Amino acid sequence: MRLIINGETRELEGIESIKDMLDSLGVDHQTVAVMVNGEIIGRADFVSRPVQDHDAIEIVRFVGGG
Amino acid sequence: MVITDKERVRRLISLPEAKPHWAQLLRGGKVAIVGMGGLGNASSLYLAAQGVGHLTLIDPDEVAAHNLGRQILFGPADVGRPKVEACRRTLQFIAPDAVIETKTMTVTRDNYEMLLSGYDVIVDGLDNWDARVLLNLFSIHHHVPVVFAGAIGYEAQIYVVNGGKPCMQCLFGEEGYEDQDCALMGVLGPVAGMAGTVQAQEVLKILLNTGEVLQERIWTYDAYRNVSRVVRFTPRPQCSACGGNFEYGR
Repeated sequence: MRLIINGETRELEGIESIKDMLDSLGVDHQTVAVMVNGEIIGRADFVSRPVQDHDAIEIVRFVGGG
Repeated sequence: MVITDKERVRRLISLPEAKPHWAQLLRGGKVAIVGMGGLGNASSLYLAAQGVGHLTLIDPDEVAAHNLGRQILFGPADVGRPKVEACRRTLQFIAPDAVIETKTMTVTRDNYEMLLSGYDVIVDGLDNWDARVLLNLFSIHHHVPVVFAGAIGYEAQIYVVNGGKPCMQCLFGEEGYEDQDCALMGVLGPVAGMAGTVQAQEVLKILLNTGEVLQERIWTYDAYRNVSRVVRFTPRPQCSACGGNFEYGR
């Protein structure tokens, strides 16, 4: 599947959901916000929200230090 | 030597879109800075220097030696002093006419309404999720802009919540995040300073009603890779803070 992740085209295989995508990228899904085609996806929906070929995905890590 | 407001802002009001009353707008501005760590040090420095008339500094902590690498208002002699007092000393040196109020307090669910009332803009200099949630709620309930930021490691991010949708919890959800401890994760001093400086920039734009505020967008910066992004975000209908079930003033 071809996804545009943070502006870069990536080819990922065996991906059905946001959770799959984050796992494939090695990203801890407890630390990030995810937008699919501009829509914010709640963390509770990472498992159920499908991703599709050519989706534009932004992953933003929460940065908490002050 | 006495420096007049007009002299202090001379280069500011040389900007093409500047208005003659900008100096007065800044002089009349009231800004609360919650947390006087790396973010709060940098933001307060530029806000005082640029001529903001009233700053309230809120932080319960004392200066520690390991703060000195990035908290640039402090010197070695300040170790052990309340951060807000050490900050006030330096800011007052830079801007003698500014009113610098200090509150050696922690923002809590019991006091945040009282502590945050009466300001034109609130600056997030915090290092924890729970207190940021309170700033977010205050912005939603009272339509006061909050300039959020975070800095850890080589990364920084800045975004503005301006009275609600979309809010911080639209973006980052309800579940919260574990606090990120600079002692464990480290932080490159100038990265925190850059984030605080951009916060000051956004505060000034809000006070002066100029430019495009970093609202509905988050700016992220990775100093390690020298990559920055501006990511747009929209309200999340299920957001428990400002979303579908939110009623203004509740």
